[in-house]
Amino acid sequence: MEIKAIGCEPLQLKRVHLENSHTLKVYQENDGYKWLKKAMEMSPDAIIGEVKASVLRGRGGAGFPTGMKWSFVPKDSPKQKYIVCNADESEPGTFKDRYLMERDPHALIEGMLIAAFALNSQTCYIYTRGEYKYLIDIMDEAVEEARAANLVGKNILGSDFSCEVYTHTGAGAYICGEETALLSSLEGYRGHPRMKPPFPAVEGLYASPTVVNNVETLTAVPQIIEMGGISWRDLGTEKSGGTKLWSVSGHVKKPGVYELPMGYADMERFILEDCGGMLRDDKKLKGVIPGGSSVYIMRANDVIGKKVLMDYEGLVAAGSLVGSGGFIVIDETVDIVDSTKNLTEFYKHESCGWCTPCREGTDWLVKIFNRIAEGNGRPEDAQLILDLCDNIEGKSFCALGDAAAWAIQGAIKRFPEDFKPYLNGQKTTSTEPEARKF
Amino acid sequence: MSTELIKVTINGQEFAVEKGARLIDVCREQAFNIPSFCYYQDLALQASCRMCLVRIEKMPKLQTSCTITCTDGMIVTTQSAEIEKAQRAMGEFLLANHPLDCPVCDRGGECELQEMIFDWGDVEERFVESKNATPEKFLSPIVANDPQRCILCKRCTRVCDEWMGEDAIEAGNRGVNTVIGTYGGWLDCSQCGNCIEVCPTGTLLDGTYRHETRPWELDQTISTDTYSSDGMQLSIGSRGGRVHRIVARDRYVDGLNGEFLDVKARFGHGFVNHEERIKTPLIRYKKGGKLIPTTWDEAIHFVTNKFKESGNNVGVVASPRLTNESIFTLKRFAKEVVGSENYTISDVEDLAPFFNNLSVPLATHKEIRHAKTILLIGGEPEEEQTFTAKQIRQAVRNGGAKLIIVHDTPIRLTAQASQFIHVNPKSLDAFALAFADKSDKTILSKIGAAQSEIDDLLKLIGESEGDFIIMFGRDLSAEAQAVLANVAGNFASEKRRVLLHPLPLYNNSVGANDMMAGRKSLSDVLINSTALLIGGSLSKPSALTDGFLSRKDFIVVQEMFETATTEFADVVLPAASFAETDGTFTNNTGFVQRVRQAVEPVHQAKADWIITSMIAREMGVDFGYNFSAPAAFRTLADSIDAYAGLRYPHLKDESKPVQVKHPIAGKKDLSKETDALRRGVEAMPETNEKIIGTPKVGHKLHRLTTMTSKTAQFHLLAHGNPKPENLLVSPLVQFNLDGTPRVEEKAEAASAGDRISDVKRTAGVTLDGKV
Ligand SMILES: Cc1cc2nc3c(=O)[nH]c(=O)nc-3n(C[C@H](O)[C@H](O)[C@H](O)COP(=O)(O)O)c2cc1C
Ligand code: SF4
Ligand code: SF4
Ligand code: SF4
Ligand code: FES
Repeated sequence: MEIKAIGCEPLQLKRVHLENSHTLKVYQENDGYKWLKKAMEMSPDAIIGEVKASVLRGRGGAGFPTGMKWSFVPKDSPKQKYIVCNADESEPGTFKDRYLMERDPHALIEGMLIAAFALNSQTCYIYTRGEYKYLIDIMDEAVEEARAANLVGKNILGSDFSCEVYTHTGAGAYICGEETALLSSLEGYRGHPRMKPPFPAVEGLYASPTVVNNVETLTAVPQIIEMGGISWRDLGTEKSGGTKLWSVSGHVKKPGVYELPMGYADMERFILEDCGGMLRDDKKLKGVIPGGSSVYIMRANDVIGKKVLMDYEGLVAAGSLVGSGGFIVIDETVDIVDSTKNLTEFYKHESCGWCTPCREGTDWLVKIFNRIAEGNGRPEDAQLILDLCDNIEGKSFCALGDAAAWAIQGAIKRFPEDFKPYLNGQKTTSTEPEARKF
Repeated sequence: MSTELIKVTINGQEFAVEKGARLIDVCREQAFNIPSFCYYQDLALQASCRMCLVRIEKMPKLQTSCTITCTDGMIVTTQSAEIEKAQRAMGEFLLANHPLDCPVCDRGGECELQEMIFDWGDVEERFVESKNATPEKFLSPIVANDPQRCILCKRCTRVCDEWMGEDAIEAGNRGVNTVIGTYGGWLDCSQCGNCIEVCPTGTLLDGTYRHETRPWELDQTISTDTYSSDGMQLSIGSRGGRVHRIVARDRYVDGLNGEFLDVKARFGHGFVNHEERIKTPLIRYKKGGKLIPTTWDEAIHFVTNKFKESGNNVGVVASPRLTNESIFTLKRFAKEVVGSENYTISDVEDLAPFFNNLSVPLATHKEIRHAKTILLIGGEPEEEQTFTAKQIRQAVRNGGAKLIIVHDTPIRLTAQASQFIHVNPKSLDAFALAFADKSDKTILSKIGAAQSEIDDLLKLIGESEGDFIIMFGRDLSAEAQAVLANVAGNFASEKRRVLLHPLPLYNNSVGANDMMAGRKSLSDVLINSTALLIGGSLSKPSALTDGFLSRKDFIVVQEMFETATTEFADVVLPAASFAETDGTFTNNTGFVQRVRQAVEPVHQAKADWIITSMIAREMGVDFGYNFSAPAAFRTLADSIDAYAGLRYPHLKDESKPVQVKHPIAGKKDLSKETDALRRGVEAMPETNEKIIGTPKVGHKLHRLTTMTSKTAQFHLLAHGNPKPENLLVSPLVQFNLDGTPRVEEKAEAASAGDRISDVKRTAGVTLDGKV
């Protein structure tokens, strides 16, 4: 497992190699909690100003500008305000938050405290998926260490700023990574998404103003305070500030977590050189899913020789999205129908069932994929699948339905040659069990 | 909602709409059809069916019109190829796993899903895969569930939570496996059946009506509930002289209660066609002898002769279950036929002191829903006036109203209250006195409340704006009710309107009070007369045990069933139930609403007012109704001020009920009443022992089919066998699947073979046995 920064100084990955990097001692030896102190000498508006200037965009998948999100919190609201860290990390292909929490938990705590200070909040929650129970133990230990050092709890560092940090695990549902479903789950309800508006920043946890941010978003905050928003932004590009973690998996020699400056050029070099090249030298690149399972899959010839820039604009231009940065490399042995069937099953399994198109649509699509895999495909199924995706996309209650539609649309539109034999009644030929699991 | 108007353009036409209006409502008001399943007015928004999609300019995607609040200048399209495709797609998705078994579905013909798909016509079937199967089951003996037909609109779970406060059903599992289910298998709730009613599909079904008829084979008759004083409007489904079911579906009836009903109103109709109905007139020729069937002619003749012998010693008693027409006719009988002042109502509660001292008008249920402050003193509306309870709950939940409860028992609604003053047992009268006379500080120690609690209460009222509604239960004496009715007006101010809401027990308690103005007390009538004509049965056990009835020369009872009262009768005349009669009931908000004949009177039964008129005619007095209910109503309307000028045509539309205006009395000297209350307080012991624990709704045990409109109150049921005749409807007793009671010590009463007469004895009910 490779963990390194390429094309920039490691920021997110600055401490993760150090022995006992999860302890307060090591964190503080490496300037830890200095930036909280610095932030507490700034005005809340100034902090938000720096975050705005940094052009930090949410690393959870939607890429919403963080500073803008923070400024939506109504300052004059008499209600409690909450900071919630989205550590659900359930997007297939994504595993960066886990490294940050495992190796650098104090960076997350420091980031949350700065956010809390800037937004006048006294309560932070870290919500993780059920499978990350061991991370919660690490986080809890870190919180206790921080509390003993008067960094969490009452009168932090002798100031009149008090803030608690709590951890909470879900039961392992993809939908609980969606911010409003996360809040329902955190309140103890079924993990159903809620209507937006009202947005969490106005009415979130317990109907109070709430900022929900991804782990990586929050760990970037101390860096921004350290460097100043503009300098941090300039690590990346004007519209995609800073650095970004990519969780690389699939058919490369060196899978792992890579930190790249935003705007890193280019994707081909990243795969074929930085990540050690294709897993098997005789197998060619077939495609890439660059931003977690929910984004459009890219064909190799949209990558090779195309100098794709790895940032928000670059990936849009290349026909996909940064998403959560779950970077899945696919070689020519993979049957895209088979892999898409697997993903469709994932979305069906994880659909919360609230709304009609996603609940019924994903079930129907799985049935169609099963049918064509068994050799009962019909030429008209391609149109049917696309039409069902169209009937889900933009009509579902939350973005999970859209995500399912994108994953399938991308595959069928960009790999028609893989679908063609099936639609003429061929049975699945997949002999590669690994191909079913990513 | 403010009355400020804004401009909205829908399909190219501009409309002025109220600011804050919901787009789907606006579109529908303007006759633009918008399909929907999950949207239900006054329930929490769900936005899950995705049927109601529309296009709004400047918004990126299609929008659910059920969640959109109109803003000024909004430009909306509800019809386009894109929208139709989306809506058809949702319909197609909903049918994907739907079994399409309309021909055997009890909801076929009144199913919203079926209707919508049929409206579209040519729905292409592209789904060729196999459907997911989920077995059908009974959630309780009266709530059947076929999960495969479910479209997960969650109207059911929302009404259970928001209307009933029960939260007894919820969605289980996830994704396409989601099913509506119970917590732990058996539906532990008040069995109101509202979840069945609001279900747009054949998923939740009336277990007592399973496979009985197709809905379209039923005649629908709009009528009024025969149990509660809320006057809920319902539709009686009948066929071939039988009542098969009762619903409040909005396609059939649109009354004050919307689609809300309770377990009694909805399921307690088995008595109508019950085998134990009295079939013919009966005469007991000899005291202590048997009741022997006879003809109407013979019976009327017999009664006439006996009454003539008794002269003006004939007393007349009417049940508050009867229609206004029947009660009024009984009163006329006393005054005009036998020349007697001995007429009364069999109810132990006397509403006259309340109505004679009104200082403010009565509240309507709509006003309760939108009230800002509600003071409930005593009572148990969740059991007795279920619709009022629902309005209170929604006023608090959806309207942010403040609820203050003063009670000796922590009833379930206290969970909703901003303030709960927990008083000592039986000290509500004393509280009424303290509330009316704030100078008397000695009372507080007797009620077990602190001065600060009273201060907080008065502060809360004093600060409140909008409607303030005072309601109180039957556990307050007539004197206390009079005093409260009279002081209510003191709280009115420019920013605050005060309204009163009585909580009487019976469906026509208020009408009976209006019809029987000038009546004597029940005991006076029983003491002062030698012969009695009783419409319905007596409900006061002491009147019977005191031996009053056994000492009368001659007793005629108009009844549906043999009851404890008919045991003393010399003549029993078979009376028609509410479902067999035309007439009116007056509810606890003063609404006069129609009761309509759904089926022919069973056997030889006749409406009570007809029976009474027949005796009168035989005795030489023609009431002039010519056996026409509208004529009977016209006569009563013309002789009671509050009803003056009313005719049946005015009462035709159940969605626009007519409220009779009870006269508002000015300030009155109520020293007699307050003195009586004070004497009561003085006699109270000093104690501070409180009733703790919240009782379940309901007190007695009944079998669903043998419940009559006399049935006092009850709750649930549940016996393993889902046949209605095996349903036990009870109070504190709930039954396990194997028929054993859940709460052992409360388990007296009915075993599986009980009949009405047994239930009557074991459970001590049905003394009062008829409509
Ligand atoms: C189905 C679904 C799953 C999601 N899962 C995650 C997740 O696991 N982690 C995460 O940070 N954001 C996830 N998101 C995105 C969140 O809704 C939200 O945008 C994010 O937490 C905001 O934080 P950010 O602005 O820092 O990215 C998910 C969104 C959807 C629709
Ligand atoms: S799109 Fe609908 S069914 Fe799917 S997860 Fe979101 S709310 Fe649930
Ligand atoms: S019968 Fe009434 S209380 Fe019971 S589950 Fe249905 S709605 Fe809820
Ligand atoms: S049972 Fe009926 S009301 Fe409840 S979710 Fe299903 S379709 Fe809707
Ligand atoms: S009615 Fe609007 S989404 Fe169901």
